[in-house]
Amino acid sequence: MIRYTAKRILSGIVTIWFITTATFLAMHAVPGDPLMNDKAVSEEIRRNLEARYGLDKPLSKQYVIFISNMLKGDFGISFTQQNRRVNDIIREHFPVSAILGILAVVIAALGGMLWGALTALYRNRLPDITIMFLVILGISVPGFVFAATGQLALVHLNAMVGTTVLPVAGWGTFTHMLMPALVLGLGTMALLTRLMRTSMIDVMGEDYIRTAHAKGLSAQRIFLRHQLRNAILPVVTVLGPQIAAITTGGFVVEYVFAIPGLGRYFVQAVQQLDYTVIMGTTVFYGAFLVLMVILVDILYGLIDPRVRLST
Amino acid sequence: MTTPILAVRNLAVEFDTFGGVVNAVRDVSFDLHAGQTLAIVGESGCGKSVTVQSLMGLIPTPPGRITKGSARFMDQDLVTTGAQGVRGVHMGMIFQDPMTSLNPTMRIGDQVAETLVVHKQYTRKQAQEAAVSLLARTHIPEPRRRAQQYPFEFSGGMLQRAMIAQALACEPAILIADEPTTALDVTIQAQILELMQSLQKENGMSIILITHDLAVVARMADQVAVMYAGEIVETGSVTDVFYHPAHPYNLGLQQAMPSNRHPDRVLEPIPGSPPDLFSPPTGCGYCARCPHAMTICDSHPPEMSPIDIASTHEARCWLHHELAPSENNPVRPSS
Ligand SMILES: Nc1ncnc2c1ncn2[C@@H]1O[C@H](COP(=O)(O)OP(=O)(O)OP(=O)(O)O)[C@@H](O)[C@H]1O
Ligand code: SF4
Ligand SMILES: [Mg+2]
Repeated sequence: MIRYTAKRILSGIVTIWFITTATFLAMHAVPGDPLMNDKAVSEEIRRNLEARYGLDKPLSKQYVIFISNMLKGDFGISFTQQNRRVNDIIREHFPVSAILGILAVVIAALGGMLWGALTALYRNRLPDITIMFLVILGISVPGFVFAATGQLALVHLNAMVGTTVLPVAGWGTFTHMLMPALVLGLGTMALLTRLMRTSMIDVMGEDYIRTAHAKGLSAQRIFLRHQLRNAILPVVTVLGPQIAAITTGGFVVEYVFAIPGLGRYFVQAVQQLDYTVIMGTTVFYGAFLVLMVILVDILYGLIDPRVRLST
Repeated sequence: MTTPILAVRNLAVEFDTFGGVVNAVRDVSFDLHAGQTLAIVGESGCGKSVTVQSLMGLIPTPPGRITKGSARFMDQDLVTTGAQGVRGVHMGMIFQDPMTSLNPTMRIGDQVAETLVVHKQYTRKQAQEAAVSLLARTHIPEPRRRAQQYPFEFSGGMLQRAMIAQALACEPAILIADEPTTALDVTIQAQILELMQSLQKENGMSIILITHDLAVVARMADQVAVMYAGEIVETGSVTDVFYHPAHPYNLGLQQAMPSNRHPDRVLEPIPGSPPDLFSPPTGCGYCARCPHAMTICDSHPPEMSPIDIASTHEARCWLHHELAPSENNPVRPSS
């Protein structure tokens, strides 16, 4: 298990380095630079600014500087937001995105497993058909539609009840988080439901389930002790990439619900070619996702003894 | 003879499939006596597994259903009760492929201990101890360490031993073994069979053994039931069935087998293939392949009839009818 974990961490570091380099190159390949946005700067001011931000140095030199600063944990200062350090931007806004993302993943994973198991148990009967219809909706309808619909639903709900059951937008309390997290996790929940259903049906036909019946165990015990754990395995495998999808997909939801998350800054930075913010947020997101994938891999190892003990 | 521990009467099982209804088991009756081994033999698809699975309530419903018959075990009809309270307690079962028949994510010890916790209200600790000694009884070396391992850490032979330990945990009166050695290599096969025999001697259980291997039957069984196309066509003691075949199908089987007594006999395969179980023949199931078929065989199904009043030997063939010709009758003893 230790070697298994060490291997994951090592390959994670390589991945982060790759993300960093690729982003750096791609960003500089885009025509223009962050200083272009400022109106009518004279040649001299421009040269001064370039010197201040190090943009006059050759690209390779800039790369080396960036990497060495990054290793010290410093992403530099923003080009467009006066004197704001990228580290501060991340520190202030990432926790918001992270909480939203994690809540969305938890809702998606638990919901997916529950609905998936349910549809498998009621295969081809009404609960299955109904849920699977909703799943197709969940997979094919884009996230912003759910975001807008979810918000609209809250407006109507609050109007009908007469008080604020759940706030329509904003951030601060747990009640603010529920609807955005649900909306954000919906697509993934649909996907996981479908996966869990297939996996559960596969497991139900396995020889060891027949053995469990032959042992005279109750249906309930067979479900909990023998089917669930084995059926969850394939679902856990895709959890890593799904976390990536959810965290990076958070921007739209943050926008609709006016949540002060990191996604907004990321998109803004890309539009304005704010080099340091782009690099900082990308590398940070990348590292976060790599960490999540590693955690999921370790979780997988904990569930499946074949992985845990053989590597 | 004493009353049987298990009495199966006129069992019939169907499956709904895309191609129509399969009559997998059409009419199966047999008795199993305490401490004895009954071997069920017959070619692939003749309904051996379905027969024993219906005794254990393991027929998947749908698509399957038991349409008729009964299976009496200790004042209970297994068919109507679905073997509730019997399977896992009084009847244990082991399967053909031990590699896939154990839960891959559960420790061997926990799997063996599980029935004791569920059926005998053992505490977890008691059940674990019992599991270790069961593994020891099935000759698994270092049982305490092995109990902590998972199936993928076991070899096929060791897994089948663990399956046996698991099936015998509650000391069942009957052990059902559906081709327990088919997936194992030859030397391991012999060890598993030996283990089953020695455990039977220790605890006096009865065994229903399904196999394709007539050598295994000769070694293990007291009684034999020969199945063909969903029916039992001949039953009797090993000696009766092997040395006095009373049904042309069994006769064909014996002639297809090498024998020590006639080492230079030419082996004769049985031509043709079993009938379509979607629409089973109205007469004798073996009619299309039988070299001795008579006019009546095609239209009227023969009944199971005793060959010899003094023994348990029975066969399902018109050749035993009093009106059947006696010259050139291959199955009529001494005529
Ligand atoms: N779940 C099922 N659905 C449909 N048909 C089935 C099912 N299980 C068994 N059958 C049919 O029942 C018949 C008997 O099958 P069974 O498994 O009892 O054969 P068998 O004698 O055990 O053969 P083998 O020696 O190959 O194990 C076969 O024709 C098979 O197609
Ligand atoms: S009943 Fe007729 S067809 Fe069937 S086995 Fe006997 S002789 Fe052959
Ligand atoms: Mg079989």
